[in-house]
Amino acid sequence: MLELRLVQGSLLKKVLESIKELVNDANFDCSSTGFSLQAMDSSHVALVALLLRSEGFEHYRCDRNLSMGMNLNNMAKMLKCAGNDDIITIKADDGSDTVTFMFESPTQDKISDFEMKLMDIDSEHLGIPEAEYHAIVRMPSAEFARICKDLSSIGDTVVIAVSKEGVKFSTKGDIGSANIVCRQNTTVDKPEEATVIEMNEPVALQFALRYMNSFTKATPLSSSVTISLSNELPVVVEYKIAEMGYVRFYLAPKIEEDEEETKPQV
Amino acid sequence: MSQTETLSLIHEIESLVSDQLQVVSYKWLSRSYLISSDEAKRLLQEFVQKHEGGLEVVYALSGWLKSTHPSYHIRLVAEPKLAEAQQEFDGHCSVQVYSVQASIPKDPAVLWNAEFIQAEELFKQPPSVDNCLRDNRFCGISNSFVRRNVEGQPAASATPQIKSLAGSGPTKSNIVHQPPKNTVPISIAKVDHTSQNVVKQVNSEINGTGNTGVHDNINKPTAEKEKTLPVPTGKKKGQGDKSSSGTGGSLASFWGRPSTKPKPCSVPAENSNMISNPAEATENAQTCAHEAVDCDSGDDDNQGVILRRSSNRKRRVVFDYSDEDEDIISLASPDVPSKQSPQDSMQNDKKSLEKTTLNFDLQVEHKPLVKEEKATEKKTTEKKVFLPPREDSSIMSKCTSNGKSSTEKLQSSAPEICVNKDSIKKVSPGEPKRRKVMKTRIDEKGREVTEVVWEGEETEPKKADTDAAKKADMGAAKKADNKASTNAINSAPATKKPPATSNATGKGGSKKAVNSKDPKQGNILSFFKKV
Repeated sequence: MLELRLVQGSLLKKVLESIKELVNDANFDCSSTGFSLQAMDSSHVALVALLLRSEGFEHYRCDRNLSMGMNLNNMAKMLKCAGNDDIITIKADDGSDTVTFMFESPTQDKISDFEMKLMDIDSEHLGIPEAEYHAIVRMPSAEFARICKDLSSIGDTVVIAVSKEGVKFSTKGDIGSANIVCRQNTTVDKPEEATVIEMNEPVALQFALRYMNSFTKATPLSSSVTISLSNELPVVVEYKIAEMGYVRFYLAPKIEEDEEETKPQV
Repeated sequence: MSQTETLSLIHEIESLVSDQLQVVSYKWLSRSYLISSDEAKRLLQEFVQKHEGGLEVVYALSGWLKSTHPSYHIRLVAEPKLAEAQQEFDGHCSVQVYSVQASIPKDPAVLWNAEFIQAEELFKQPPSVDNCLRDNRFCGISNSFVRRNVEGQPAASATPQIKSLAGSGPTKSNIVHQPPKNTVPISIAKVDHTSQNVVKQVNSEINGTGNTGVHDNINKPTAEKEKTLPVPTGKKKGQGDKSSSGTGGSLASFWGRPSTKPKPCSVPAENSNMISNPAEATENAQTCAHEAVDCDSGDDDNQGVILRRSSNRKRRVVFDYSDEDEDIISLASPDVPSKQSPQDSMQNDKKSLEKTTLNFDLQVEHKPLVKEEKATEKKTTEKKVFLPPREDSSIMSKCTSNGKSSTEKLQSSAPEICVNKDSIKKVSPGEPKRRKVMKTRIDEKGREVTEVVWEGEETEPKKADTDAAKKADMGAAKKADNKASTNAINSAPATKKPPATSNATGKGGSKKAVNSKDPKQGNILSFFKKV
């Protein structure tokens, strides 16, 4: 028996909107600690990890660990039927092959039930090691989305380079090239507007903008985004979900040619 | 103060700083919780020690400066610059926590905004109410002869003391008269309601007349309030806008990327595309305007003449009222404008007939037969073919008046469709080689149908994905067409075709690259192991 009641239903809607472009089908794992998801995109280049902690729900009941395979597009379709102020309750019985989404309007005068069929998905759960990142950049999420969007009109890939100067996003394309540098800026009225750069050593990595742009679909979830970079690790783009958890996107870097050349020599 | 009280206060401070994002200064703390300034400073110090990181601390430094004219100086310094600032002081200086906040405000006024408002509120309380500012309870300086008169009438006995206090003022005043940022050292009167006018405090300590001092400033704080309050909300709004446009726009940019963009072929898709994409829509308008201009000039040479854009874009638009596909001329290379040879029109007719079969793979095979039939038909239909364009010119003008693209006229298909296609194409600079072609054909019922068709799509208008292979097929088909026709074709068609196919393959290639078959793209599985 599973029953999760989320007062801020719009949150779940936003979560689905942020990940459904990247992942088609995924297993939602429910345990007593929370509601989570980990899935790779079909080309195994990006990975999304979602966590909604049980404390964030008004009511959280999960008798035993349960994994529910869902088609995220279908789930998003159903959640679109919920109003932004609606309370969403997710219900499932043990052994059942369906999940029910219940939407209650804030005034309690309308209650909708949507039942969705579950599916069997071969899950490839990956262990993500805790890692020290060479550089961690926190910046306004809208700013990051804007940068990715702008750069993708110029080129296909972005090089994210963190140095003492700040963080530089650069791209090159047929029509020309572009560089955007963001400097540390903490003198703002609100902490979420700050750009904070913690750097242990300089990093420069290249990524496909196509994925970055799908990550920025999570922008409505949080006003700031944290980008963690290390030379030998996938980038982590994290959007915190207020008081509940996070959506993290991992993206494997593009391998630079000279690296490929040097490796065989070693 | 007991340990529990301290703890609960520290919790309060934490929620104020991290949730309400308030600047918590020792003065504010002291007045809000009715503790002495010393106690408040101690609390803040304790709070800072407990919560290192995640908040910004402003320290108040006070001491004698190292300069040649020694002066007593009080300075507010943010944490990172603390050590640097201490160097400027001669010998020891006192370092106290002035305030804690989530971030250093851009406008320093925000630092004392909260306490100013607080002071104002305290003084606005009815005169009968006693509060910490009125009764001077935490002041380091007190005068046992001075009594607070609740009625607010200055007692006669108080006056001499005021004077005497005022007399002692000057000695302090160099200390106290600091730029508003500076705090008053604790040893000196802490009663400053408004850290800005210190001298008046002296009066206010004695009786309720201190109100006037504050009233002087009342305009200021409210103005300040007005200034500071709207700013965050405005920003928030801006941010919201940004984010919404960010998400909305990123989709657009996603599709807008030349390399990833699937050719919009199906009509409905294009319509929706246009609607959902304001950026493109505006560009539409621009390009439409261009077209309208072109149209004006081009109306004269309506038939079979190519309109030339003034811009350098390499798009080619062919207004070919005799509806021949083969005869397309690149705008980039000004070519023979009049190509309306009967042969061409014959070819067109053939083509159009083939189109009606809708089976393009088979086209090539069918062609020879069709052609022969048409060769006979053509001459009969040809005259008709020329007529419709004239009629259409009225439609054309309507189009332009609508602000939509101009020169195309269609008898059977909706004009807007063409317009959309047209503009969408213009938007992406990466696809310069699309051609718009007028076609006239005879349908099954014998009616003449003139359409504007995008070459390259015409064969498979329904299939959203025109892949390279199909285009290549098409190109090949057309070439076969050309060859098969007994008449020699202008060099123009021959030159045009290669671009069409190369364009298509180019797109196909880049699509693949984006589909992460890019050999350089790393795989996430090489970083994380399966559990």
